[in-house]
Amino acid sequence: MMPVPFIDQFLFVGLPYLAIVTFVVGCVWRWSTNRFSYSSLSSQFLEHRQLYWGSVSWHIGILLVLAGHLVALIFPGLWSGLMSVKAVLLTVETVGAALGCVSLAGLVTLLYRRITSNRLQAVTTPLDILVVALLIGQVLLGVTTAILFPYGAYWAPGTVSPYLWGLLTLQPDATCVAFFPAVFKLHLVGAWLLVLLFPLTRLVHIVLLPWQYFFRPPQQVVWYAPRQGKQAHALSQQLETRRDFAKGVAGISVAGGLLSLGVFENLVRYFQGHRPDPKVETDLLEKKMVRLKQAAETRELELERQRNEIILVAKYAELQANKGKYLTDYSMAPALAFKGPDGWPLVISAKCTHLGCTVGSEMNGQGKILCPCHISYFDVKTGQPDAGAPAKAPLRHLEWVLIDAQGKEIARKSSGLPATNNPALLAQCSVYIVKPKETR
Amino acid sequence: MKLAELIQTSREYLSERLPLKHLDFQHMVEKKEVPVHRLSWGYYTGGLALFFFLVQVVTGLLLLFYYQPTVSDAHASVEYITDHVTGGALIRNLHAWTSSAMILAVLVHLLMTFAMKAFARPRELTWLSGVALLGITFAFGFTGYLLPWHQIAVNATKIGMQTIEALGDFLPGSMSEWPRLIRETIQGEASVGQATLSRFYALHVIVLPFSIAAMLGLHLLGIQLHGMSPGIDEEPRKQERFFPVFLIKDLSVWGVAFMVLFVLALCLPFEALYAYPLFAPFDPKSSTPEGIKPEWYFYFVYYPLEILPFWLVMLGQAVAGAVLLVTPWIFRGTSRKSLRLLAWGAAGYLLAMTLFGEQIYHLFKGGTL
Amino acid sequence: MKHPFRYRWGIFLTLLLWTSTMRLRAYPEFREFIVKHSQKPVNCAFCHQHSDGPEGMAAGQIGALNADQLQRLARARSAFEPGQAVDSPVLNPFGNSIIQRVGKKKFLELRLHPSELAPLLDPASDLDQDGIPDVKEYLEGTHPVNPNDGNPRMLFWVNLKRNLLPLAMTFSATVAGLFGLFHLLRGFDRAARLSITKEITTE
Repeated sequence: MMPVPFIDQFLFVGLPYLAIVTFVVGCVWRWSTNRFSYSSLSSQFLEHRQLYWGSVSWHIGILLVLAGHLVALIFPGLWSGLMSVKAVLLTVETVGAALGCVSLAGLVTLLYRRITSNRLQAVTTPLDILVVALLIGQVLLGVTTAILFPYGAYWAPGTVSPYLWGLLTLQPDATCVAFFPAVFKLHLVGAWLLVLLFPLTRLVHIVLLPWQYFFRPPQQVVWYAPRQGKQAHALSQQLETRRDFAKGVAGISVAGGLLSLGVFENLVRYFQGHRPDPKVETDLLEKKMVRLKQAAETRELELERQRNEIILVAKYAELQANKGKYLTDYSMAPALAFKGPDGWPLVISAKCTHLGCTVGSEMNGQGKILCPCHISYFDVKTGQPDAGAPAKAPLRHLEWVLIDAQGKEIARKSSGLPATNNPALLAQCSVYIVKPKETR
Repeated sequence: MKLAELIQTSREYLSERLPLKHLDFQHMVEKKEVPVHRLSWGYYTGGLALFFFLVQVVTGLLLLFYYQPTVSDAHASVEYITDHVTGGALIRNLHAWTSSAMILAVLVHLLMTFAMKAFARPRELTWLSGVALLGITFAFGFTGYLLPWHQIAVNATKIGMQTIEALGDFLPGSMSEWPRLIRETIQGEASVGQATLSRFYALHVIVLPFSIAAMLGLHLLGIQLHGMSPGIDEEPRKQERFFPVFLIKDLSVWGVAFMVLFVLALCLPFEALYAYPLFAPFDPKSSTPEGIKPEWYFYFVYYPLEILPFWLVMLGQAVAGAVLLVTPWIFRGTSRKSLRLLAWGAAGYLLAMTLFGEQIYHLFKGGTL
Repeated sequence: MKHPFRYRWGIFLTLLLWTSTMRLRAYPEFREFIVKHSQKPVNCAFCHQHSDGPEGMAAGQIGALNADQLQRLARARSAFEPGQAVDSPVLNPFGNSIIQRVGKKKFLELRLHPSELAPLLDPASDLDQDGIPDVKEYLEGTHPVNPNDGNPRMLFWVNLKRNLLPLAMTFSATVAGLFGLFHLLRGFDRAARLSITKEITTE
């Protein structure tokens, strides 16, 4: 790392401490010796027209700009978070530069007023002129920085804020700022000079923040007389109304501004739709494909049930005695196929007769299957639910037919089954369900 | 009674119920006053429900741009909204949370207006439109629940629809077939499927919004024409002006409600309150997951259905509905004190079933699951 | 036409299953443990692709795999030692991460003590980035690869911390908007009454 030149060490470490010490000592000393000199030395009685335009635009501009500086320097994390939204950054930059110009115009007006008004000359000290000149220079430097090196709201929290915190925590590090462009360095030096001059000049009025002006109603001095009293009341009401409207517009515009910052960009993106990267896009398409296939399968099943008189369930060998195989019956409801205790297949509806949930496929020790929705156990062999179960009606047994590999029908549930069967023969067979008669 | 007399009577009746002569700025805004007393918080519940409805309209419209009401795509499109659309998760979550909030607000509003006897003459029509709004709101909940087409949506809807059919067992002769026919007419097919989804979608997005807008118009007109009901028997502490004092307070309540909803929608996915298998896409061929239940706002019928005989619950529901419809006439002479007691009773029942329904169920059925 | 095809698949699969060194099946012991420990209904999709486990013909089940996927399956099934990259087509990312972390051999041993799986998992891993580590989700029965599923209270705090900035912005927008609205309404009211008093005084 390059060493920091002495001049920078002086300007960005020595001067700041000098300024801070002077600031603190000066303020305390002035407060203790001459408390009432804490004033802005108003000259409103001497001249008020130019003062109105100059003072109002200067103060509004500089207060907002300073507030931005302070938040960014004290809470750099929060500020960078805010600025990472592009719309916010652009707005802050634009508004900041505009406010800088407004305050500059105000200052110039105030300086012009000081210099041209005869009456003001009498109350003007050289220190006043120095302060105005310094302020003009400072604002000019700030606006220039904003124009030449834009997005300061984005880069400053990461560079200037650590420098400032370094100073405050007595670990000064000028390297953060030593390599900045000259314009910005001058802006920093100007800031420290203003801090240095603070206790010596009328700048001290800053510490007397007139908060109460925000909350108290406007005062109107009137003579005590009934007629004038009424007029004065109407006048004060008019003023109050104006204040109300001004506050209303201010509140709504702040809300509108914040909303447009937060909502507008997202709303546009909401309607623009999603531009996914190829991997996500592929996954998405695949997922949709799977769902489409599932829907197509359902349609296929329906078609199959319309067309065919019998439908394959499984090979007989695949059936198990205690775990049912799910199938879809002719009414598109689920059903289960077991290997019955007598060796013949057993096909039973799995649509719970209570409220139509799908009954589980695992048979428990007592030969029962469970509907998980409202806990109904059904005996697979009879289809009957347990006494006291929510389901009252039994699960239907479905008609099935066994067909061997050559396509010959071996057995059918409804045609009476022999008590014994030939396992070797059955092993070659497949189980089919049969279309119910009444739908034919 | 002669025809002329009949016409005259109904004219008088209607002009008292809908005093259109008050339909001007002065009566509806400038002169309108709201009594201040210990129950005046009840005046805010209706406005709150209205606010939630407006949120639902906005978020619902936004969702409409992406949602696809087909069996194969519905769940995928909802997932797409949640995972890929900018702000989609927030919008969807807001819609879900607000639906619950709206139902809650509507129920509290119902109980409060009952307790404050706001249905009394000349406000009968406002009450009736309110009952219609209640029905429409529940219909919104029921139809909207199906649309994401996940396991709990489809299975809970199936159960709900099956309840209609179960009525058939208690009807004589050929009438026993009617509930099944009604169910299949609502569903559009024998079981809950694509036809059901299309119908529920049409209901949720077109039919119900238009009906609620019409009813809401009538309801709000009634309120503005008649002004707020006194609410208590004694003289109120004072009257405050509707504009701007009450309106400002009402808007602050809306602001607080919005912040609460926003924080919830941003920070707590509605789905996190359920077990995840319930939110998997509905698969007609796999097993029904455990824990299928209707939304919390149907617990007050659901748990009694689980515990008590079916006909008893249905009878109770029918009686409750009928009482709601004729409340302005049967409780005409009841004192506000008794009404408050009744409202407390109803609130107690609803709270118990909604919060402790599960425990009550186990208490009655004995043992654990 | 469809059934003979499926039927042949069935034979092929049965052969495949029987010839493989280890019979492939789901391990319901873990599911049972989660359900018992967390009191939450959980299905096989906790670790598998399909909610009914690996066996079957649906997407994400063995019956629907193509040749490439079958190869990946075979590789995953032979990942006996920990640390091997596992990409089984029937497992979801959490399932794969378990096998990769503890190895198939140890995993099979753990079937008898499913609770001992938790300390073996990577305590920092959070597959769905919802702020709740996978281990915790395993014990609490919330889905480890679904960011919308998790302990509601924890999810709430995690998301609250993540969204402080937009929340603060929305809060200030709401407050400012209400402030503005109140004053506008009050202003209108005052203006209206002012005009009334003016009319009276001029009369």
